[in-house]
Formats: sequence, structure tokens, C-alpha cells
Amino acid sequence: MSIVAQLVRKELLLLRRDWHALALLFVMPAFFILVMSLAMRDVFVTGRTSTFGYYLVNEDTTAFAASIADGIGRHRVFRAVPPDLAPQRRQRVMSGTVQFEVTIPLGFTRALPDSVPLRIGVVSSAGVSPPVNELFNAAVREAVTSVYLRARVAALNPQVMNGVGEGDLLQMDRVNALLQEQTLYESAQVARRPTSVQQNVPAWLVFAMFFVALPLSTTWLQERTQGTFTKLRSIGLRPGVLLAGKLVPYVVVNLLQVLLMLAVGVWVVPALGGDALTLGHSVAGLAVVAVATSAAAVSYGLLVANLVATTEQATIVTGATNLLLGALGGVMVPRSIMPEALKQISLVSPMSWGLEGFQDILLRDGGVATVMPRVLALLAFALVALTLAGFRLRRMRTY
Amino acid sequence: MIDVRNVVHRYAGQSVPALSGISLHVREGSLFGLLGPNGSGKTTLISILTGILRSNEGRVQIGGLEMPAKARAVQQFLSLVPQENAFYPTLTIAENLRFFASVQNIPTTVQPSRIEEALHSTGLSNATGLRADRLSGGMKRRLSIALGLLNRPRLLFLDEPTVGIDPQSRQFLLDAIKRINAGGTTVVYCSHYMEEVEYLCDEVAILDHGRVLKQGALAALLEESQLVAAAVPVRRAGLQELFLSLTKRELRDVPP
Repeated sequence: MSIVAQLVRKELLLLRRDWHALALLFVMPAFFILVMSLAMRDVFVTGRTSTFGYYLVNEDTTAFAASIADGIGRHRVFRAVPPDLAPQRRQRVMSGTVQFEVTIPLGFTRALPDSVPLRIGVVSSAGVSPPVNELFNAAVREAVTSVYLRARVAALNPQVMNGVGEGDLLQMDRVNALLQEQTLYESAQVARRPTSVQQNVPAWLVFAMFFVALPLSTTWLQERTQGTFTKLRSIGLRPGVLLAGKLVPYVVVNLLQVLLMLAVGVWVVPALGGDALTLGHSVAGLAVVAVATSAAAVSYGLLVANLVATTEQATIVTGATNLLLGALGGVMVPRSIMPEALKQISLVSPMSWGLEGFQDILLRDGGVATVMPRVLALLAFALVALTLAGFRLRRMRTY
Repeated sequence: MIDVRNVVHRYAGQSVPALSGISLHVREGSLFGLLGPNGSGKTTLISILTGILRSNEGRVQIGGLEMPAKARAVQQFLSLVPQENAFYPTLTIAENLRFFASVQNIPTTVQPSRIEEALHSTGLSNATGLRADRLSGGMKRRLSIALGLLNRPRLLFLDEPTVGIDPQSRQFLLDAIKRINAGGTTVVYCSHYMEEVEYLCDEVAILDHGRVLKQGALAALLEESQLVAAAVPVRRAGLQELFLSLTKRELRDVPP
């Protein structure tokens, strides 16, 4: 067996006995994917029981007001919650248990023709994100507009309207038929919107893969401070062999992480009520992105390990830079909602290359050719990091 | 076995050289004591002699082979036992020995006998299944030495092998080192314990500030120490006195 193979074997043996590292590498990301996929399930899929609730306080008893209430209720993202007394309502909206409160004031319908009409009040909880807030306001506006228009048209020309209901010539619902919605995502040859698991798995997968830098760098530092590193150097093992002895096993570990996290997405998340992850159509593309991301992550860990002097420094540097690269790379916040300037900056993060690569396969139905630019960027990053690590190792005072 | 001439080494970014023109000769088969206070240049010299570092200037020959050009060949017959524990704590004694035997390209057919020899020499034959991090201090040092014996070295560097161990383990190690040397292995022994050097070594070099202050047969140096002691009657004559008279008494807390 070659020396590199012996180093790899030893490394895997050491890892097998390091429960803390195994937990960090396997349990944490699997748990993360599980939690994030289930927690964000409804953010990406409409038409399912939503987490956004609202109180409807209809003080106006007219059919007109009832139509507005009915219009808001048709929106699939929001659900009306059972009524409460005013203090409880305010307290629950304040605490964020219920997100909105809509009040149609008494006399609203009667005051419509007035120059100063009464207003429908919309109160939102402080924790509601601006897009959701906008969406709810739009839903209320749409319901009011629809009912208001119908009433105005009826007032101008009663023949046009033959009553509210089936025979209504001014069917506002028909507006929906004029719109064809499509999201460019295909899964199992069925075009549909990507689910939360489809969105979350690539992001946390890449993040977890880069976390390999933490145990890798601390192990390397321990070997440097213990006599093993000196011993191996005195045996004649060159820096390249020592680096390869770490690179190969940790890439293997990374690939096992990928398999585990994909398995969680495919089997565990649906077993717990979430959507199943679908793997796209290119296993080769997925494998190529995984290997390239792993090479970049492990090389980055080796570079850090050769730049810092203590295990404490390695822990802080890898932890902090991982969070930074993750935030920049679109792991925590999707790049699509970043401001343009930040989007450009985020391109420097290798995590964004890996993430885009995985999304090419899992969200955009890409193949090997699609991911190749990102794969090459990741491999180039790995090469530069390894070269710098080797250069530093050669000049290092190891004993 | 070792021939060092005018070796200079300066670490990057440091104004004072770690070695300032060292010359040294170690005879084949000798048990050579390399002495010096902290920061005297011992570790740098060992790093150069074992091929870990390249000197900036000077000439180094080991076993007649030029360093660093023939470092790979030299590393086949030398062995270094560093002052830190040179093994993997979560592996067992047997696993550590197997790993280091395999990375030294010792043929798999020969490995079991080499491992057995190393275990026997260090008194660890009955503990092969124990994890290294659960060994006593003395056993850890013996394991480090066992790892150093796997390639049956012609030249063995031992860097402070008895630090922090109990008297029994220490005596066992000193006797083991004598036996290893008696088997034909040249031993370079670094220690701050002068009585150990007096007990073991036949030749000694005292280093300080990157230079050799004194080198010669132990007996001759001890004779010289009598003269030093005569000047200060309260003190006991010996290598310790000679060492202190050469390297002075200032504390060496800060490495150069």
C-alpha cells in the first residue's frame, strides 16, 4: 500500500474514534437540513396550511363588507383565526402569535360614497417580514377593489350586473385565468415550484462541507504541536504527501456528508411531513459538483491549518470565515434577494460557487456541462489553496 | 557518522542566526551527548541533521552522504525521537507501530518482527492493545522510542527522552539506550540532565548561541571540570559545573 494510502487509512481510523468531529461533520448538518426544511416548508409552497394568521373584525354587517372579508379569505397564503376579544387580539398580534388584524369599521359601506370614507384598518405584527406584509396588504386591497368595482359598475349600469354570484358578468375571479404562472424548475419531469427542502439542502450542504475545515485544521495543528509531524518529516515524507494524506480522507468524509444529507432530504424529511428532495437528472453532475466543492473546502482547511499557530486560532479562524463565506455565498440569505452590490461581492465566496453548482443540478435541471464553470472555479481555488499551504509548510519551523 | 562543517542557519525574519558556523564530528558507534541551554541551537541542528531543514551555509555529511542532496537515503537509516510524544493518542500501541512501520516502507513481511523487536526493547510487549492516550508518562516515552527503532536505525537522535517520567522508567530507558548503542547504533542524546549524559555518553558537545563551545571525550571534559570546581570549592565537580561555567547562569526564558 502506498504511503498516501497508509496516511488515509490512519486518518479515517482517527476520525472514527473522534465522536466530537463525527457529530460536527454528520449529525449537525443532517439535523440542520431537517429543521430548516420543515421550518421553512410553507415559505416556498403555497396552497397549504399557512403560518400567517389574521384576525378579521367585521363591524359592518352589510353584504358588501362580508364580500370583502370573503375576498381576503380566498388568499391561500393567509388564514383567518378564530375571533378574540380586543385586548387578546392586540396582545397576540403584538407577540407575533397572529400576524395581522383587519378591521372593517361599522358604517364602512354606508360611508363609501362620502368624500371622506371610513377606512379598513390593517395592523401587522412587528416580526412580519416586509414582503409578507406587502403581500397581505395587497390581498386586502385586491378584495376591496374587487367588491368596490362591482358596486360602482352596478351603480352606473344595473343591467351589467345581474346580481352577485354565478351569473355575474363582472367576474373578477376571471382575472386569474388571464395569468399563467410558471417557475422554471423541473423535478421528476414535472414542472413545479421548488420546495423548501429543494432550496435548503444545497445551501446547508455546502455550508456543512466547508465546516470540514474545522476538525481538519485542529487535527493538523495537533500533529504539528505533537511530535508526529516532526517524526513524519524526519522519515522523509514530503509536504505534498502530508497534504495528500489529509486531502483524500477528508474529501471522502465530505462525500459521505453529501450522501447523508441527500438521504435526509430524500427519505427523512418526507417521513416527518415535509417534501421529498428530488435529485435532478444528472448524477454525474451532482458527483462532479460534490467532489469539486469538497476539494475546495478541504484545501481551504489545509491552508488555514498552515497559516495559524494554535488550535484555538484554527477554531476561531475557520469558524468565523465559514460564517462569513456562508453569509456572503448565499447560504443564509439567498443571493437573489441581496442588493446588487452585495451580489457582486458574494461572487468571491467559493461557497457561492458550490451552492450555484448544486442548485444548477437540483433546481435548474442542469448537467455536467452546466456546472462546469463553477466546478473549474472550485478546483482552481483548491489548487491555489493547496499550493499556498504547501509553500507555507515547506518554510515552516516544524521542530 | 556525522560531519558538520561551518553550518549557518537563519530563520526567516530573524536577525540573529540560530546556528552561527557550527562544526561537529560524531564518531560511528558513539553515544554522543548534545548539550545546550534552551535556544542554543540544538533543535535547529537536529532538524538539519535529520533532513527536516536545509542549512543556509556549510556542509553536512551523514554516513558519508551529503545532506540535503542525499537526505532521502540518509532518512532510511536514521531515526528521530522528538521531545514531544511522536504518536497518535487515539491509536493503540500496535496501531501506532504498524502505521509508522508502513510509512517507512518497511516490507509487510518484515513488519511483525520489527514491531516485536521494538516492543521488546522498550518493555511494551504486554501493552500493545492499549490506547496511547491512556498510557503512563513513562510508557508514552517508551512508545516514542519504540517507534524510533522500527527501521533499525544506524543513527538515532533522542531529544530529551526522560522528561517527566518516574525514576524506574527513566532507569529502564537509560539502560535500553545503552543496549541500543551497544548493538551498533550511533546515538545522539540531547538532555538537560547532566547526570544522564555522564551516565550514558562517551562524547559530548556543548552548544550555546548557535556555536559549539566545547566538544570532546566525556572523560577529558570531566577532567576539565575538576579544574573549574577547584576554583569554586563549594561546588561539586562534574559536567554540570563545566556546562554552567561555559554557558553562564542567566535564565533562558525567551527563545532567540
